[in-house]
Parts: sequence; C-alpha cells; structure tokens
Amino acid sequence: MARFYAGAAALALFAGAAYADGHQPFAVGEGDFNWDSYQAFADKYDLSGQTVEITGAWTGNEKEKVDIVFSYFESATGATVNYSGSDSFEQDIVISARSGSAPNLAAFPQPGLAADLASQGLLTPLPEGSAEWVAENFAAGQSWVDLGTYANDQGEEDIYGLFYRVDVKSLVWYSPIAFDESGYDIPETMEELKELTDMIVEDGGTPWCIGLGSGAATGWPATDWVEEMMLRTQSPEDYDAWVSNEMKFDDPKVIAAMEEFGYFALNDDYVDGGSEAVANTDFRDSPTGLFSIPPKCYMHRQASFIPAFFPEGTQAGEDVDFFYFPAYESKDLGKPVLGAGALFAITNPSEATNAMIEFLKTPISHELWMAQGGFLTPHKGVNPATYMDDSLRAQGEILLGATTFRFDASDLMPGEIGAGAFWTGMVDYTTGTPAAEVAKGIQDRWDAIQ
Amino acid sequence: MSPLVQGMLTIFIGVGGCVGYFYLSNLILDKVIFPARGDNPGININRANLVRPWLFLFPAMAALGLYLVYPVVGSFWRSLYNRSGDEFIGFGNYAVMFSDDGFQVALFNNFLWVLIVPAGATFLGLLVAQLTDRLKWGNIAKSLIFMPMAISFVGASLIWKFVYANNADIGLINALRDFFGAEEPLDVLQVRFWNNFFLMVILIWIQTGFAMVILSAALRGIPEETVEAAIIDGANPFQVFFKIKVPQIMGTIVVVWTTITILVLKVFDIVYTMTGGNFGTEILPSYMMSYMFRDDGRATAVAFVIMIIVLPVMIWNIRQARAEMR
Repeated sequence: MARFYAGAAALALFAGAAYADGHQPFAVGEGDFNWDSYQAFADKYDLSGQTVEITGAWTGNEKEKVDIVFSYFESATGATVNYSGSDSFEQDIVISARSGSAPNLAAFPQPGLAADLASQGLLTPLPEGSAEWVAENFAAGQSWVDLGTYANDQGEEDIYGLFYRVDVKSLVWYSPIAFDESGYDIPETMEELKELTDMIVEDGGTPWCIGLGSGAATGWPATDWVEEMMLRTQSPEDYDAWVSNEMKFDDPKVIAAMEEFGYFALNDDYVDGGSEAVANTDFRDSPTGLFSIPPKCYMHRQASFIPAFFPEGTQAGEDVDFFYFPAYESKDLGKPVLGAGALFAITNPSEATNAMIEFLKTPISHELWMAQGGFLTPHKGVNPATYMDDSLRAQGEILLGATTFRFDASDLMPGEIGAGAFWTGMVDYTTGTPAAEVAKGIQDRWDAIQ
Repeated sequence: MSPLVQGMLTIFIGVGGCVGYFYLSNLILDKVIFPARGDNPGININRANLVRPWLFLFPAMAALGLYLVYPVVGSFWRSLYNRSGDEFIGFGNYAVMFSDDGFQVALFNNFLWVLIVPAGATFLGLLVAQLTDRLKWGNIAKSLIFMPMAISFVGASLIWKFVYANNADIGLINALRDFFGAEEPLDVLQVRFWNNFFLMVILIWIQTGFAMVILSAALRGIPEETVEAAIIDGANPFQVFFKIKVPQIMGTIVVVWTTITILVLKVFDIVYTMTGGNFGTEILPSYMMSYMFRDDGRATAVAFVIMIIVLPVMIWNIRQARAEMR
C-alpha cells in the first residue's frame, strides 16, 4: 500500500515537472505579447541550478495558470521554480516564517497579513528602486506603493509587496438587452446614475438587485458599497484615515457614506424584493434578477469575480455587460477605483528570488496570465490585446484609467472589524438601525481593540 | 505512510499500550515494589492492594486532568487577562461583557432556547413514543421521526433555510401565506424576537427523535400490572398516561430533558448558518465565536459564563442518570 502511494506521488511529481517544462501554450515570438521584455530578461539572467520556492493561496485552476507563467521564468533563466498552493496558506505561511523554514516568495491574497509579517521582521524589502518602479509603471502608482509599504519590527518603512493580479470592485453589471429595450443610456456620473434609478422606477421597473447574504459572512457586500461611497464623497486621504481609524468610524463623513448606500438599499422602490430582501438575499443569487424576463432589476454593483455566479450559458457582452460605478461630477474627486489584489513578498531572499521579482515587473509576466483569463493588472506596459476577452479588457481599462486606486477597506481593517463588526453592523443598518448608532457600535468595538 | 496503515498502527499502539500498561504496572507492583516474599509478605500484599486501585485509575485521571481540569482552570485564568493576554485585568472582561448590549441579547435568547427547546423536544418525543407504541406501523413512524438525528446541524439548517425562504415558490411558510392571499413574501428570519423561535424549531426537529427513542424504551419498561390495575379501577386513557405512566418514567424524562438542555447550551451552528447571529438571534455560543481568536480574554469569559450555566444542569443530569441505574 505504502509503496503504491509512494509510486503515485513520484508519478505526480514527475508529471508536474514534465508539465512545467513541456507545456508552454504561447510560443515565444508569436502573438501580441511583449516578447522583447522576455528576451531582454532572458539575456540578463543565467541562474542555472538555482531554485525559487514559492507558496501562495492559488490552488487548482489558478495554480495551473500561475505555473505556466513561472515556466517561462524557468526557460528564460534556467532556474527551477517550485510553487505550492494551499487553501490554508494564511496559517501555513505564518508557521513557516516563524520557524525559519519559509519559502523564498509568498503570494499573499491581501496586504493585511503581509503587513503583519513585515512588522514582525519576517519579510525582506523588495530590491532597490522597486518603489520608484511601481510608482512609475502602475496606473495610480503611488496607491500601489503605499499598499505595499509597511513598517518592520524596528519601525522602519520600506516597500515589501509587489502587486500581481488585481480584482476591480467598482463595476455595475447590467443587461444591455434590457437597457436597449427601455432606451436607457449608461450613466457617466453619480448624478446621472441617480436620475436613471428614478427613471426606471417611473417606468414601472426596479433598478437594483442588492444581496448581502453570505452565510456566516453575511453583510460583506455592503461594506464594498460603503467603501465605494467613501471614495466618491471624501478625499483619498480621508479614506486612508478611516482605514487606519485616525478618522473614527462614527465620524459624520463615514455615516454620510453609509447613508449614501442606504439611499439605494433602504428604498423599497429601488431594490428588487424591497429593502427587506437585501439583508438575506444571497450575494450569489442576487444578480440572477438581471436575467429574468421581464427583468427583476436593471443594475447590480459587484466585483469582477461575479460572472462566475451568473446563470449557465450567460454571454459576457451580450446578455450582460458592465459599466464603471460612476463618481459625482460635482465633487471633483476624479475616477476612484476600489479593488483588491494579491501581492508577492520576499520571505527568504536569494539571487534567484530577486530575479523573480524583476521578472514579475516585466510586461510579459502579466500578459501570460492575462491571456489565460481571470487576471487583471494595473501595469501600464502591458498590451491590452493579450486579455482573454473583451470583458476583461474593459475591466483592465478601468484599472488603467483610475486616478485613485484604493484597496478594500474591510480587508485592511483588523479582522474583528473588517470581518466581523462591520459586516454585522451593515446588516443591522439595512434592517432599520440608524447609521449613527451602527457606526458608534463599530467604533466601540474598535476602541476595545486599542 | 498511508492513512490506512497509520490508522491500524494507531489502533494497535493504543490498545496494546493500554493492555501493556495495566499488565506491566501490575507486574511491577506485585513483583518489584511490594513483592509477596521476604520479611513481611502479608503487609506487602495489603499495601499492594491499597495502591492498586490508584494504579488502575491513573490513566483516566491523567486524561481527565489534562483534557478537562487543566483547560477549565486555564480558561478561567485566561479570562482574567486582556485581549492579547499580557496584562492582568481581574474581572474586567466580565464587567465589560455584562454591560454589553450584545451579551444581554445573547443571554436572553439563550434563556429562551433553554426554556423552549428541551421542553418541546421532550414533550413531542413522549407524545410520539406513546402514540406509536401500539401501532402496527409504529416502527416506521418512529424511524421517520428518528431520521433527523442523523443530519448534522448545518445540514438541517440548510434544509430549513428552504422552508423559511423569502419566496412563495420555495419557502413553505411563504407558500402558505401566499395561498391565504398575502401580498408580499415575508422574510421570517428577520422578524425580530419571533425569529428565535423559528431557529429553535430546527433543534426541536432534530432532537425529538432522541427523546422519543429513550422514552419509548422507558414506557416499555413500565410493569403491565400497574396499567391494568388502573384500567380495572376505571381510569380513562388520559389518567393512565399522566397519573400512572409518566410518574413511573419521571427519572428518564429528567435525564432526557437535561441532556437536551446541555446540548442547547453548546449549539451555535444553527444560528451561525441561518442568520450569522444577525437580526437579534445571537446566543451565547455564537456570541463567543464572534470574539474567538480576536479577543481571547472576552471569548474565554463568555465560555466560562456558559460553563457556570451548564454546571447545575449537568450535576442534576448525572445524579438522575445514576438514580436510574439503581
């Protein structure tokens, strides 16, 4: 029995190795890719015999995609890359970093944990000049620098995180067919969006589908709404102050942002099923209202991952499309974009590891995943033609057009708030508790932490 | 090593270790420490017999100490410290907790749960046990009622989520309301205060089978003569049931009741799955969960309060169960 298992394991390893070497779907020099950046990188580095150990939260299908990206690093440098994905990455990386057996690189799903490890002195800063590079080459570059900059155990700040693979949240999904039939135009500003909302009600329709249900995490979609509204009513500095709790949660500005969400969600005429349905409709079922005939609702604000939950056979671009969740014309805050994303940080430095970081700065390393789908990047040097489909391309455009990029605030807040009190508070708000009272409750919980 | 081999090895080492421990320790006691030879064999045999029970009790005591007493004392100690566990704050966690609205709601809801669920499950179980006793197809009925016992709390919650669904096409309750001409579907889980009862129904549904099986066995154990005598004396069926049968199985009823009560004080999965503690449905275990791994001082304080509440019920349960055995 044991021998059989050992044999199977060896076979799997062998297959993996064979796969990494022999399976490169994009031939060097062909297609819309920036092969020049690949060649320049390959000429610069020879790392034969060296290994880069990487762990991350990407498993299954995503692991296959990232392995393909890494295989090009292998063929360019002669080094070996061992990537292992784990569903319990968050626990694993903490344990291995503390016990001194960390891999070379870790791909963190969000900055919170990376900042924690940096503050314990367990991360190594990115190579010299990385901060300047990110500021220069990423859209809304300084936002990405700030998101990757943490203090170490000595309190010294440095850039630790290089973002790779981003999600956009500021999207409103709609049915082009329903819009055409009723003759609605895509709103360019928040004022127009509110007008459109009223117009749909006048025409006897229901404008929005909103669902906060998510089992034990019920409430999280509302936190995205509030974050969007913070970015659209207050300055980015205020947003940052709110994330760090320099601005209290029960500050009038935050309460106002909550009520902006309430403007849509608490109005029975605006939401499919009335405001009572908001709190308990599952976020995965919520968008289906767009696809019924006649439409149960016309718009649904949700992040770029939501197409995974659309009904079987939904055609992006035909049955469903999206537009940027617009900003107020009157407030002059530019085009803020809310998102989330994964970042690479060095947990165990080596020459080959630095080379990998340099590789992840090349346009080709982004394009190789863009072409496989499920990948967005703020990298300005990439060729948008390499995106797998038009829908992703348009989302990439939104990222590149961002004047301000801000990260999901609830992901950056302490878990007790961002994955606890904020969620339940928003459920209370949508079921009738006044915003001021909810905000005070969340702030009290935050005070208890400090 | 494959899991199968690991499992076999574990069983072998576990069982072998137990047998080995008892055999060897006994051997050492009799042959080495107090051998029945030498100067005073009689005294040695007596001494060995004094030590022997403790020798045999030691593994159980050690395991209980390690896995029960130590965690209880340790949790209590932890609950006297602040959230990060580096500052002694006495009963600060308890003081803050008792003044917290969320805790008061959870405590009140838990009180309702303890009041209603054990009573409901025991009463229904007794009813079913009595009614199916003489039926030809009673066993089939019993099996059907017992079945929910096999479903996990989370699974049962998901089933009931459909019953309560906010949609007349899916939800049973809303389908009925629709039939009687209600305009809009109603999300029953959001009806404050009453939603607690909708969650309790789930646990009653699961636990009725358990109560039924135990009480059914107890009813069978009642001597026929007492029932016959009552009938000859002209007692009607209700009098037979309440005045003759129930008093005789009172001990069993109490055991069932307290067992379910203890379970109620541990259950958090139903609330967690159905409402996530929203809409005023928080109970103590789910309230504890919301602090766990974040503010361990607070969480252990809640855990300790739960334990204090469970303790008298538990003692009563054990005493009754013992009385039953005699």
